[in-house]
Amino acid sequence: MTAVVTGAAGGIGQALCRRLAEAGHAVVAVDFSPRLEDVVAGLESNGVNVQPVQADLTTASGVEEVAKVTQAMGGLEVLVNNAGITRDSRLVNLGEDDFEAVIAVNLGAAYRLTLALIPQLPIGSIVNISSRAYLGNFGQFNYSMSKGGLVGLTRALAQTLAPSVRVNAVAPGLIGTEMAMGIPDDVRSKMIDAIPAARMGRPEEVAELVAFLASDASSYITGEVLVIGGGRSLSR
Amino acid sequence: MVLRCPLPELTAALQAWHEDGTGLVFLADPTTGDEWSDVSKELIEVFRLTRQTLAKGLPVVFVVSNDDLLGRNGPGRAMVATGILSAARTAAVEHRKSRVPVNVIAREDGTDPEVIARWCGLLLEGEAPTGELIHLGSEHIGKALP
Repeated sequence: MTAVVTGAAGGIGQALCRRLAEAGHAVVAVDFSPRLEDVVAGLESNGVNVQPVQADLTTASGVEEVAKVTQAMGGLEVLVNNAGITRDSRLVNLGEDDFEAVIAVNLGAAYRLTLALIPQLPIGSIVNISSRAYLGNFGQFNYSMSKGGLVGLTRALAQTLAPSVRVNAVAPGLIGTEMAMGIPDDVRSKMIDAIPAARMGRPEEVAELVAFLASDASSYITGEVLVIGGGRSLSR
Repeated sequence: MVLRCPLPELTAALQAWHEDGTGLVFLADPTTGDEWSDVSKELIEVFRLTRQTLAKGLPVVFVVSNDDLLGRNGPGRAMVATGILSAARTAAVEHRKSRVPVNVIAREDGTDPEVIARWCGLLLEGEAPTGELIHLGSEHIGKALP
């Protein structure tokens, strides 16, 4: 059955596509970025076949495009809302455009895509990729709010879609993606020092957790937020 | 004090308790629907008023519904409530050195407005805790931890 992964061109997104394909899903890889083409070519060269859809999910037409593709594929079993952007700044310096852009992509797009795809998802699993920042993180008022909002969306849908569809959230901490590698070395090093696991997480580790939540192995889990952060929520 | 409170009985209680208080009390609008435009509008209002208040170095208290935090009243209100909680925690982190408190109160249906007003007052004080979620009532016990 089909699985949709948004934010597929990013590090976690690519790992999700690989892992869900390995689990036997026909994967629809959605991303706004033109990089998606190269990413899909790279996945295919490694034997992972995905159906790419380049779409802006903050628009009605972008959402419709994805819904048309999944409809043509005969419906859906798994939806992973992974698309996300950052526009970091202390709140007192945060501009309205940067606030709205992050909320629209990280929360609004996930919500609207989910509403559009629910009719095609009679039985299955939705996984929302939140962030450990939902617990609060300096310089990320907009991001934190958007990822916290995903937690609320998860809880509400887990109740309204039960028992046929399970809905959970995964909250990754510092994961070794391009986004994390863009952090200055000294800052990233300090961040890693605060992680009991003493390293960044790997995108494949996030994908493994998502694959678990997408599978029958987690058939009694719904409405939960699972933090995958190497113990960072405990340290100073 | 800036009061953003769509419930008249709570507005009256807050005004009676904190006539001379400073800071922001923001009550999440219980009429927010499930349309994205409603959710977005409410979150933008949170952003504007919080930024404006914290730029002046003044404390902030948000009041949300415990049922909304747990997603019992639909996705729109849930996204607003949990979004506020996460944003409040981040704002608290950013202002901890300057000791400006930012907190969230979770109310139950039927919580006495006087009780909410009294707690808002406590949380607007300079020595108040920060980054906390204060549950008024007991229905949260045994339920998910936000």
